[in-house]
Amino acid sequence: MVENRPWLSFLTHLVLIAGVVVVVFPVYLAFVASTHGSGDFMRGLVPLLPGPHLVENYGRMLTEGISTAGAPPLWIMLMNSLAIAIIIAVGKIAISLLSAYAIVFFKFPFRMLAFWIIFITLMLPVEVRIIPTFAVVANLGLLNSYVGLTLPLIASATATFLFRQFFLTVPDELMEAARVDGAGPMKFFRDILLPLSRTNIAALFVILFIYGWVQYLWPLLVTTDSRYYTVVMGIKRLAATADAEPLWNLVMASVILAMLPPVLVVIFMQRLFVKGLVDTEK
Amino acid sequence: MATIDLIDLKKNYGNVPAVKGVNLRVADGELIVLVGPSGCGKSTLLRMVAGLETVSEGRIEIGGRDVVKAEPAERDIAMVFQNYALYPHMTVRGNLEYGLKNRGTPRAEIDRRVQEAADILEIGALLDRKPRQLSGGQRQRVAMGRAIVREPAAFLFDEPLSNLDAKLRVQMRVEIRKLQRRLKTTSLYVTHDQLEAMTLADRLVVMNGGLVEQIGTPTEVYDRPATVFVAGFIGSPPMNLIPVSSLSGAPAALPRNTDIIGIRPDALFLDPQGGDAIALAGKVELLEPIGGESHLHVRLDSSGQSVVLSVPGRPDIAEGSAVTLHARLADIHPYNAQTGRRTDETVANL
Amino acid sequence: MQTKRTIFPNKLLPYALLAPQLAVTLVFFIWPAFQAVKSSFEREDPFGFRTTFIWFENYARLFADPGYVNSLQKTAIFSVSVTLLSMSLSLLLAVAVTRVIRSNRAYTTLLVWPYAVAPVVVGILWWFMFNPTIGIAPYILRGLGISWNHRIDGNQAMILVVIAASWKQISYNFLFFVAGLQSVPQSLTEAAAIDGAGPFKRFWTIVFPLLSPTTFFLLIVNINYSMFDTFGLIDATTNGGPNQATNILVYKVYADGFLGLNIGSSAAQSVVLMLIVIALTAIQFRYIERRVQY
Repeated sequence: MVENRPWLSFLTHLVLIAGVVVVVFPVYLAFVASTHGSGDFMRGLVPLLPGPHLVENYGRMLTEGISTAGAPPLWIMLMNSLAIAIIIAVGKIAISLLSAYAIVFFKFPFRMLAFWIIFITLMLPVEVRIIPTFAVVANLGLLNSYVGLTLPLIASATATFLFRQFFLTVPDELMEAARVDGAGPMKFFRDILLPLSRTNIAALFVILFIYGWVQYLWPLLVTTDSRYYTVVMGIKRLAATADAEPLWNLVMASVILAMLPPVLVVIFMQRLFVKGLVDTEK
Repeated sequence: MATIDLIDLKKNYGNVPAVKGVNLRVADGELIVLVGPSGCGKSTLLRMVAGLETVSEGRIEIGGRDVVKAEPAERDIAMVFQNYALYPHMTVRGNLEYGLKNRGTPRAEIDRRVQEAADILEIGALLDRKPRQLSGGQRQRVAMGRAIVREPAAFLFDEPLSNLDAKLRVQMRVEIRKLQRRLKTTSLYVTHDQLEAMTLADRLVVMNGGLVEQIGTPTEVYDRPATVFVAGFIGSPPMNLIPVSSLSGAPAALPRNTDIIGIRPDALFLDPQGGDAIALAGKVELLEPIGGESHLHVRLDSSGQSVVLSVPGRPDIAEGSAVTLHARLADIHPYNAQTGRRTDETVANL
Repeated sequence: MQTKRTIFPNKLLPYALLAPQLAVTLVFFIWPAFQAVKSSFEREDPFGFRTTFIWFENYARLFADPGYVNSLQKTAIFSVSVTLLSMSLSLLLAVAVTRVIRSNRAYTTLLVWPYAVAPVVVGILWWFMFNPTIGIAPYILRGLGISWNHRIDGNQAMILVVIAASWKQISYNFLFFVAGLQSVPQSLTEAAAIDGAGPFKRFWTIVFPLLSPTTFFLLIVNINYSMFDTFGLIDATTNGGPNQATNILVYKVYADGFLGLNIGSSAAQSVVLMLIVIALTAIQFRYIERRVQY
């Protein structure tokens, strides 16, 4: 719109800059803390400018960890987090693609029932059924395993609905042409439908990767063996050394490392991230 | 090369009949156009032949083989869809090859056929492009190409030209006709556009309400519409259908039981012609000059019905002036309103 | 429910395709939920030998427990505060960002990444900022004559978790508000400008009412988020304390069940939570129904 109100533009930028400061400052402070020696926190106020111990702190956390806090080296936890986030994202996408395909391209008895069973998972987040779910996983002997960490989380109504919505927009004629061309159901799925869903899959992957990475309660419940710790839950153990003040510089180095992978995904795949976020809420 | 036979073919959606019993033989190499208004069952009929709809009753034979239970891919047919249905993520070449690959056609044979189709359709330069990089006409050609490479027993066309603009549609219509003559592949072609139907067909099948109204060559159908429906559907502007009761003094020469007469707009004249059967008095409501000829809308004094006549050139008639329209007996199509059929023939035109 | 015009004729294949999803759902969702409902009506003797069916006794006891009523109140305060704080800040930022043209993308990038930060990490970040011994916030507050110690003061603890939880949610709300604002037709605000409405008046009389579907949607999502996705945040900052001041429902169900091993009560709490999610989901889908046909 053609409108020239300099004070309003000024105010707009002021608001935005203030917003960015609020959003960035806690992380800046954490980063600064992660570059200092442990003695720098004795003076009653955290340092506000970066110190010289960056490489040392990060190096120590990645390779050694803090054995007194019961936390293994960070790189092990980072690898666990990476593995789990990827397994969860891929698993959710795979089983949701298949079930959406069944629901849209076939007619069969109990189709509606299947749809509603999947739908119900929306209403049962892990937080509200902690103990019985834990009991199931324990009875199946899946504690302290990657299967136990991921499998109970890979059902996804959201992803199923997203793919269902998308499949419904694929022209009927495409499937008919493929049938005339001699493609059976699985061939059509692989040759036509999957390639067409690429963008949706990628966008969803970004969202689900983040979802998997930030899981806290579930890993906390099903892992007691530090070999299976994820970085997000490991940090909590570092910070929660009951008696002493935490080793702030090392805790914050871990915080930064734990944040970095999903945050980088959001920043570098912003377009897919936004698409995924908006699509999954439709 | 094959014939297609439809025997008592019916389709019901639940209790709703869509096709109510159709018999048709498409001769080897013939191009038959199914034409009718939307909802007349023509697309359903075609899709049953393709195997995309189940058959409720009756038989379909392609090349003498009953295919009612066969999958679309087993029927040796190729189909061209209204929206082309090109696989958007594959190149033009990929689209042409897909059906052949699925059938395990040898590589050399695939290449030969793709090359041949590309030459016929002049799309050789487009083979490595994706469908979204093509114009509407080019996509249409690729869709044709995908049918051609299969060298099927029959082509099925489902309104293939309706997504094109008017100019391109005429051009592609001619090309499809030439191509079909050249390949001599048995073809079923569905359209709602009667002009397209007239120009393309070896024979026309006019459908309405799930039934066949008339089967015949375009000239036969135009010259002797078997039913009131066909009379009103084929021809533009449509034939004038006038109740005999509204004529002042019905001509004695009309066959028995005639209560509706049909007169094409170009068979009505402002001047008396030798041997006139009827004369209709009315007032000019509207004069539409459309280039070489003009359409004259006349409201009849006797019944208030509006009729159209086409006259050559641009007649010097003011709107509102009184005119008398004349028609020759030979140009009058007599019908019975009850049966909807012609009254001047005893044998049904099926 | 919709399918394609033509469908594949296979009879068994669709069941095979659905099997993985349904298996996971039944084993890890439906069955545990059923178990929770079942044990919410039962009492287990101390040795776990015998369970007795006791109707609604667990529920009656739950709602008679001042600790649980307190938790309900704290959850309400927490949820409403987070929703209001986070949504109003996000709306302000979203409106601002749609006004700038050139730096739009840069600001957006700088504002959206907290979405990817785990709630427990958010908790640690803010806990560090507000740490009574070395944190920067207490230092500044001391200068203003306010003594900050959320380890002792329940209200301060609540303020801390509200701020932290709102901070994390700003990015999400911001993105949806931006999308909502972009879908308000430019011609409407232009018409209002021609009618003589200034920018603030235009916003409140034209844009904000048209934004109401987005606002309503976010309202539900934020309540949902603050009630169920903030477990890690509480766990990292206050552990529900001091003196239950921040012991919201999801934290309490975990603490009572896992740490306190009170199965019956925890199951009843789970069922109450489920009912809340079901209600929220129902509201959300009633609203979405208009856009999506199932």
